[in-house]
Amino acid sequence: MKKKVIVACGGAVATSTIAANKIMELCSEYDIDVEICQIRISEIESHLAGASLIVTTTKIKRDYGVPYVSGISFISGIGEAQTRETILAILKA
Amino acid sequence: MLWEELKESLIFLNNDEKCKKDILKKMGEALISEGYAQTTYVQALLRREQSFPTGLDIQGIGVAIPHTDPRHVKREGAALAVLKEPITFRHMEDEGIQVAVRLIFMLTVLDPEAHLKRLQCVLSIIQDAEVLRKLLTAREKKDIIRIIKTKEEAL
Repeated sequence: MKKKVIVACGGAVATSTIAANKIMELCSEYDIDVEICQIRISEIESHLAGASLIVTTTKIKRDYGVPYVSGISFISGIGEAQTRETILAILKA
Repeated sequence: MLWEELKESLIFLNNDEKCKKDILKKMGEALISEGYAQTTYVQALLRREQSFPTGLDIQGIGVAIPHTDPRHVKREGAALAVLKEPITFRHMEDEGIQVAVRLIFMLTVLDPEAHLKRLQCVLSIIQDAEVLRKLLTAREKKDIIRIIKTKEEAL
């Protein structure tokens, strides 16, 4: 089944594009069928339906009832391997 | 290649600005006058930095990547500042964390999908602490261009 992943940042432009691309690469590497929904953080709520995971480059304080992973390591490069593993574990579950 | 676009007018070295707003304004105005950004760019960028800060801590080196919405941008570009004295930014991931920033990579992002390679290239520079350390010791603008060129050619 296709997994829907919400990838968000402040403006849905620069950092979320990088994070979305990294997640797409990761999923194709592990044969996970994924649909990326790249939006602004302010738009998360209206895109929650069917989402398996939320990844943002800015920490979100709200719990949307969907697994959440910080994507800051895709920008800083620090801890990226750990982030990849966490995302994989959620999407493979 | 990023280094080819980095004119000396878009590089800021040994500036005296002590506050975030002043240095961001100076860099943004350079991007406007070089034709990379709309006249609305600086105000929009300052507002964005306020709501969505862009500070990062790369192995102890404070870096910021301020940018804003494509509607304030004319074409893809970058301005770079190497600060003598750090300026406090808030962290991208957690705005409660302060970052003492020494390097500012200001970006004009128009179409990130089409220019993904360019954005990835900027990130590969900011993720390389060794390159950042070299940039911090640069004395002249041409050193900065050379350091970035060397990194890009190794990618």
